[in-house]
Amino acid sequence: MYALGVDVGSASSKAVILDRNRKIVAAEVVQAGTGTTGPRRVMEQIFSKTGLHREDIVKLVATGYGRMRFEGADRQFSEISCHARGVHYLVPEARTILDIGGQDAKAIRLGNGGEVKQFFMNDKCAAGTGRFLEVMARVLETDLERMAALDTAADSPVSISSTCTVFAESEVISQLSHGASRENIIAGVHNSVAAKACGLVGRCGVEGTVVMTGGVAQNAGVVRAVSRELNREILVAPNPQTAGALGAALYAWDDARRERGDETG
Amino acid sequence: MRNVETILAQFKEIAANPRQAVADYRSETGKGAIGIMPIYAPEELVHATGYLPVGLWGGNQSINQARTYLPPFACSVMQQVMELECQGAFNDLAAVVFSVPCDTLKCMSQKWKGTSPVLVFTHPQNRGLESANRFLVEEYTRLQSRLEEITGVKISNAALENSIRVYNENRAALREFVRLAADYPQFVGAVSRHAVFKARQFMEKSRHTALVRELIGALTAQPLQPWSGKRVVVSGILLEPDGLLELFDELKLAIVDDDLAQESRQLRVDVQEGNEAPLYRLARVWQRMYGCSVATDTKKLRGKMLIEMAQKTGADAVIAAMMKFCDPEEWDYPIYFDELEKKGVRNLMIEVDQGATSFEQARTRLQSLAELL
Ligand code: SF4
Repeated sequence: MYALGVDVGSASSKAVILDRNRKIVAAEVVQAGTGTTGPRRVMEQIFSKTGLHREDIVKLVATGYGRMRFEGADRQFSEISCHARGVHYLVPEARTILDIGGQDAKAIRLGNGGEVKQFFMNDKCAAGTGRFLEVMARVLETDLERMAALDTAADSPVSISSTCTVFAESEVISQLSHGASRENIIAGVHNSVAAKACGLVGRCGVEGTVVMTGGVAQNAGVVRAVSRELNREILVAPNPQTAGALGAALYAWDDARRERGDETG
Repeated sequence: MRNVETILAQFKEIAANPRQAVADYRSETGKGAIGIMPIYAPEELVHATGYLPVGLWGGNQSINQARTYLPPFACSVMQQVMELECQGAFNDLAAVVFSVPCDTLKCMSQKWKGTSPVLVFTHPQNRGLESANRFLVEEYTRLQSRLEEITGVKISNAALENSIRVYNENRAALREFVRLAADYPQFVGAVSRHAVFKARQFMEKSRHTALVRELIGALTAQPLQPWSGKRVVVSGILLEPDGLLELFDELKLAIVDDDLAQESRQLRVDVQEGNEAPLYRLARVWQRMYGCSVATDTKKLRGKMLIEMAQKTGADAVIAAMMKFCDPEEWDYPIYFDELEKKGVRNLMIEVDQGATSFEQARTRLQSLAELL
C-alpha cells in the first residue's frame, strides 16, 4: 500500500509517495504551479519514476494554493498543517519553521509533539518571496541557482529599502547604474528577503530549532541572511521544496491506515 | 409564524439593497435619508428628525476612481466609500454625519466628493475628564442645529428621548440575537448573522427590532442541536464580503460572539436613563465605550475583554479580522495578541479587504485553524 501527497503551489508542483512503513519512496518537483500542466506532470513523473499507478495509491491528499482545484484527491489539508507535519517527520526537534515559496512566506511555531502552536503568512504582496528573487535575478541577468554563489563574493551588501517588488526592481537598476557590483546587490536582495520573512517569524515568536523549507531555502545566500537576521543557526530541511507534499503524504498515510486497519501498519 | 429561513432571507434582501430601503422609506414617510459614517455617531439625533439614518460602511466593488484621491495604503473600507462617493452613490442623502476618530476618517471628512453636506464632529481623545463630556455635548449641540437646519425639523427633547428608547431596545434585541445565534449555528451561519447586522444600517430601528424579535421567536421555537464544528470569536472593524463569511460556514466555524466595530461594538453601550439632559447622556456613551481601537484606552483592556468573551462563550479561538491598512487596529493587535498567547487562547489573524474577490489566503488560514483546533 502507498500513500501520496501532492502540494500544488503557485509556482511549482510537488509530490511525495510513502510506502507501508511510512518511508519516502519518491519525491518529485515540477517548476509549474496551479492552473498549468504542472500538477498533471508531477503526477506522471512520480508514477513513471516509481513504476506505480494511481490504483496502487490507497489515499491521496492535496495541499498548497491549488489544493481545491486538484482533481482526484481524497482530502485537502492546508499548507500550514502539511508543512508542520512534513518538517516534524524530517527534523523532529524543529520548533520554528520558515517556509518561503513562490508567492508566499509563512512562519510556523511548533509544540513538542510537532503540533502547530501559531502561524503567520505574508499578506498584501509578494515582497519577500520567491517571486521577488525571480524578478531580481532577471534584472541582474543571473538565475536563482547562481545567486547563492555570487552572494558569497559580496564585500559590502547594498541596502534595498523598498518593500514593493516593483520599486525594489527600480532601486536595483539605479544601484547598477551607480556602479554597485552584482555580488553586493545580490547580497542586498537576499538581506531584504530575509528581513521581510523574519518579520513573520518575529510575529510568530522564534523558539528552538529553526528549519527553513520551500524553494527559497535552496538559496544558501538567503539562508545565511536569515541566520544573521535571527542571530541563530538555521537548518534547511532535506529536499526543502517537498516538505509540504511530504506532510500531505503523511496525512494520506494516516487515512490509508485507518481504512485498511492493521494490514498496512 | 414565519420560519427562521424566511426571516433571514428578508434580512439578506434588505442588506443587499440599501438603495431600495431608502426609496421605500421615502415613499412611506416622505422623508429622506442621512448617511452615518463609521464608526460612532449619535444616530439617535438623526432618528429624532424622522430621517432614515443609513450606515455608510463601504461596499464590494473594484477600486478605480478612488485611486485619484486616496493612496493605495488607505484602509479598504474608506477606499470603497471614496469609490461610491465618486460614483455619486451618496448624492441623494440629505447630509452625511461624520465622526473623525482616526487619521483616515479625518482626511476623508475633508475631501468629500459627493454633493451632500458633510456634518463633521469630533470625539474628545481624553475619555476620563468631565470637561470632555461637556466638550462632546457642545459638538452634539452643533450637530443638532445643523441637522435641524437641513431637515427643517426641530428636535424636541421628547422626540430625542423616544429615539434613545428605540435605540436602546434595538441594541438589547440584537444582544439577545447574538447570544441565540451562538446556540443555533445550524440555523444562523456567518453569512446570515452578518445580514442581520447589515440590514440594521438601512432600516428604521424600531422596525429592525421588530424583525429581530420575530427571528428570536422563530429561533427559540427550534430544538437545540449539538454542533459538530468549532466556535470562534471575531474581532476587528468588520467581516465582509460574503465570500469571506462563506468560508466560516464551509469550514463550520460558528461565530459565537464578535468584537466588530460594524456589529457588536455598536451594541456595547446603551444610553443611560436618568434625569440629565438627553444630549449629555448621549455624550456619556463615548466615555463608557471600551475595547475599541479608536476609543483611547490607557489601560489597554481589549485583550482582557477578548479573553473573557472567549471563556464565556466557550470559543475555541479568537480570530482577528484585520482590516487591510487600518492603523488603529494594527496598533492594538500586538498588545492583545500577546495577552491571548499568554493565556493560551488560540488565535488567528486574517486580512479583510472589502473589495476582495478571491479568498485563497483566508481559506488557507481558516482551514489551518480549523485543522489544528
Ligand atoms: S478606523 Fe480603521 S477601518 Fe476605520 S476608517 Fe480608520 S483606518 Fe479605516
